[in-house]
Amino acid sequence: MSPQPQAAVGAPLSRVDGRLKVTGKALYAAEHDVDGAVHAVIVDASIGRGRITSIDTRDALAHPGVLRVIHHRNAPKLPYRDNAGSNNPAGRRLRVFQDDRVLFHGQPVAVVVAETLEAAQHGASIVKVGYDAERPSTDMAQARAGEPTDYSRGDTEAGLRSAAVRLDLTYHLARNHHNPMEPHATIARWNGNRLTVWDKTQWVMGTRDELAAVFNLPADSVRVISPFVGGGFGSGLRCWPHVPIAALAARETGRPVKLVLSRKQMHFGVGFRPSYEYRLRLGADRRGRLVAMDHEMNHETSSYETFVEGILDPGRMLYSTPNVRQAYRTVPLDVSTPIWMRGPGPATASYVIESALDELANELGIDPIELRRRNEPAEDESSGLPWSTRRLRECYTVGAREFGWDRRPTRPRSRREGDWLIGMGMAAGVYHTARMPAQARVRLDADGTAVVETATSDMGPGTYTSHTQVAADALGLTMRAVTFRLGDSLYPQTGPHGGSMTMASVGSAVLDGCNRVRRQAIELAVEDEESPLYGVAAEDVVVRSGRLHVRNNTARGETYQRLLTRNNRSRLEADGSYAGPSSPERHSFHAYNATFAEVAVDATLGLVRVRRVLGVYDAGRIISPKLADSQAIGGMVGGIGQALLEHTVTDHRDGRIANASLADYLVPVNADVADLRAIYLEGEDMEADPLGVKGLGEVVMVGVAPAIANAVFNATGRRVRDLPITAEALL
Amino acid sequence: MHPFSYTRVSDTREALAAGSRGARYIAGGTTLVDLMRETVERPETLVDISGLPLREVTATERGGLRIGALVTMSQAAADRKVRTLYPVVSEALELSASAQLRNMATIGGNIMQRTRCTYFRDVTAACNKREPGSGCAAREGFNRMHAILGTSDSCVATHPSDVAVAFAALEATVHLLGPDGERTVPFADFLLRPGNTPDREQALRQGVLITAVEIPALPRPLRSGYLKVRDRQSYEFALTSAAVALHVRGGVIREAKVAAGGVGTVPWKLPAVEQHLIGERPSEALWAAAAAKAADGARSLQHNRFKPQLLNRTVERQLRIVGENA
Repeated sequence: MSPQPQAAVGAPLSRVDGRLKVTGKALYAAEHDVDGAVHAVIVDASIGRGRITSIDTRDALAHPGVLRVIHHRNAPKLPYRDNAGSNNPAGRRLRVFQDDRVLFHGQPVAVVVAETLEAAQHGASIVKVGYDAERPSTDMAQARAGEPTDYSRGDTEAGLRSAAVRLDLTYHLARNHHNPMEPHATIARWNGNRLTVWDKTQWVMGTRDELAAVFNLPADSVRVISPFVGGGFGSGLRCWPHVPIAALAARETGRPVKLVLSRKQMHFGVGFRPSYEYRLRLGADRRGRLVAMDHEMNHETSSYETFVEGILDPGRMLYSTPNVRQAYRTVPLDVSTPIWMRGPGPATASYVIESALDELANELGIDPIELRRRNEPAEDESSGLPWSTRRLRECYTVGAREFGWDRRPTRPRSRREGDWLIGMGMAAGVYHTARMPAQARVRLDADGTAVVETATSDMGPGTYTSHTQVAADALGLTMRAVTFRLGDSLYPQTGPHGGSMTMASVGSAVLDGCNRVRRQAIELAVEDEESPLYGVAAEDVVVRSGRLHVRNNTARGETYQRLLTRNNRSRLEADGSYAGPSSPERHSFHAYNATFAEVAVDATLGLVRVRRVLGVYDAGRIISPKLADSQAIGGMVGGIGQALLEHTVTDHRDGRIANASLADYLVPVNADVADLRAIYLEGEDMEADPLGVKGLGEVVMVGVAPAIANAVFNATGRRVRDLPITAEALL
Repeated sequence: MHPFSYTRVSDTREALAAGSRGARYIAGGTTLVDLMRETVERPETLVDISGLPLREVTATERGGLRIGALVTMSQAAADRKVRTLYPVVSEALELSASAQLRNMATIGGNIMQRTRCTYFRDVTAACNKREPGSGCAAREGFNRMHAILGTSDSCVATHPSDVAVAFAALEATVHLLGPDGERTVPFADFLLRPGNTPDREQALRQGVLITAVEIPALPRPLRSGYLKVRDRQSYEFALTSAAVALHVRGGVIREAKVAAGGVGTVPWKLPAVEQHLIGERPSEALWAAAAAKAADGARSLQHNRFKPQLLNRTVERQLRIVGENA
């Protein structure tokens, strides 16, 4: 078929659901009006480890409006079929109200169901739970790590011994919480043995499968609906315990149940980016060429599940290094299970590697960009595969020019403006281009409008908009003529909405479905004697604004509407699919960035102010530039948080999260966010997927924190190896 | 939230009557409602006093200012008299909370606000302030934001207000109205250090109303300002802060009013710093020498060991900022 003209893709369009959102008509999980719904509030364990010895629910049950208090002593046995899917990590997942064990502070120990939210909240506050408490183990420094996942190439010890310059650096990264604006919420309704759930999730299929497993139902007896998600950053990638709790409460009371987590509960109920201890030993020659890197990575996980993330990639492939060793361990603690958070893995690894390279550059007196150029690999040295596309050097060039890198003080602590020390830093970022099989259903109606359905999500990046753009161009329709639907497990299957996979995977399935429908229409036209297109080669027909015409002769054609009506076709339909990447892969696929930051640090008060951030991205084709900017700016803001503010504090005496509120867990506010700018290298990666995209949502967070940390060093001459960098570290 | 009854009153007589029957006063509600949601506060009866006629900022005969208890933070910050006479007050207000909160919260409520100590706000933690005798989880817990001055074995919680630091510096007085009539209390005596009774935070008997905060007249010209050091640039409590007012005549500092925030269990007046300044000529060396006394007597905790040094530097900086122009 002839390539379609590109009209919507690449255009800086506003969100198609923007009006719905700003007028409050976009319904988020807790806002669906489900007839007869009652309210559930979870009672959280107030110990960090131990057993429940008593539960006194009399006061709660006596409170007007309270219908039921469910806990391990009165809850039915739940089947909890094994479920290796749904993003469940290895281990034994937390089974709600199935025994008296408390595995972490804040674990659900009971749920109060009441006619009103207020009654449920009050009921939950007066359930008296007795415990046999033990001291929890929540301090990674005091706990034993598990067996490592090892990787090795070359001879790292020998490489380090032989290296002219050696650095041995240990970094600590604080635990971070996603803290999306919308709290996690679930409404559950049973109809006989069929369960419908309105949920905040990044993966309706995963939640469906987990609920089916918990209650031992056929998967098609569970429907999960999630049309809008008010931010996620990864917290919605699993079906957390509150979801089956809502379903259980609905089943036990015979009423639809709405359950909304409090902000406090969001700090132990829906995962987090684990804290890390990361030791990097690095050896280089005098010209700055890396000889060896030895990575020892430890991060926390729960006692009951082994969460792992893809942190190994940057250490293996970002820079040419003949000798690499990696030992990656998890440390089981009495905490809830972590989950991926924006830029999972690389956002951590790149902080360490990019900070270390900055230390090396300073040690050798080489410009940080020049140092990175000297270590640019010709291929992926971990797999031997060629790059699909890797334009990191262009990112450096464009970034250095646009940022004014030549104005960077080469000597640390050498530029001062009044009380402020000024510094610039940069870092490279990388994130692997992952793809997953995906399906989409496309229907073109006789009125010339189309509906596209897939089970994916839109947690904020603008899936609705970008996929409408793809569909509009592939069908040859205007944006207005296409309705894109997502967030319902009855729609065609997709993988989780995360890992920067959605555009590449779901977008490719949408493209395929739309191409099929367009082909059907073209074939119908060229074989239809009454069509002006009769007899034209199908390859020569394109569609624009709902009208099929000969590519070089716009006068010869007709509309979808006319074609279908004349042929008595009420619709054309097709299932689109994307099979996922070829196996084995023939290329190494990654998105890249060079990120630059300028900071001012108060010389005596230690305050760090980020003045500017510039990200230059090699992310393949940009489908939706305006949304891409939102993504990039959001990633930079997340990186500012990771670098300077975000830190979940655990009180090791009892495992309590000591700052479980947005007043105490600090994220950047507008005043912390100054001049943020994103530049995308124009291009595409047609090896990666049919759309030529490499994913953007994750890579924009990677590299921001080290660019800021390196700028802080450049400003102050002080190297802080712990995140976040707070005032006291710079006094 | 525990069930409670709620009534509104439109004159002070009704308010006092309700107060004498045990009702708690509520105005902006920005602290109280928050704490009720966490069940830290469990009042039986709330009486809403926002309709009382205490919404004026007026000049006093002696040249000071009287700020009605129900003047909102944003109203006080924007008031021309406040801005002209006491920039330290308007700056402290504008560096507090968020615009939305400042539009709701009142001056009376601001000085009554309770600590941000996370253990105080978590009913499952030990806290002598919330539950006398239960212990203090903060002393050995996460205490980065906690106090280094005025602490006791029972409590190390910081007073969170910014404007109260300015009031303490300026030696304001609090006007009270009770069943026995009106009286005034010096600001320094109004907020109580925790001692063995951290649950008692103000010298205020049940049912007594705050009607106004009065700032006394000070010699003119008076330069003043507020510096707040905090982790992020807005909507965050102070790590340290300094309120400074200086009167310089003939090249000599005649009057110095200095207090610190983020460091004390109450807004922390710094008389030793003030004494060091009075009678001296402004200079960089003077600011440093005076500020070096700011943290006298400080006792830091595991996570706030940086605070004495940061406090000295904060005070020094703000002395310089105000003093340079004085």
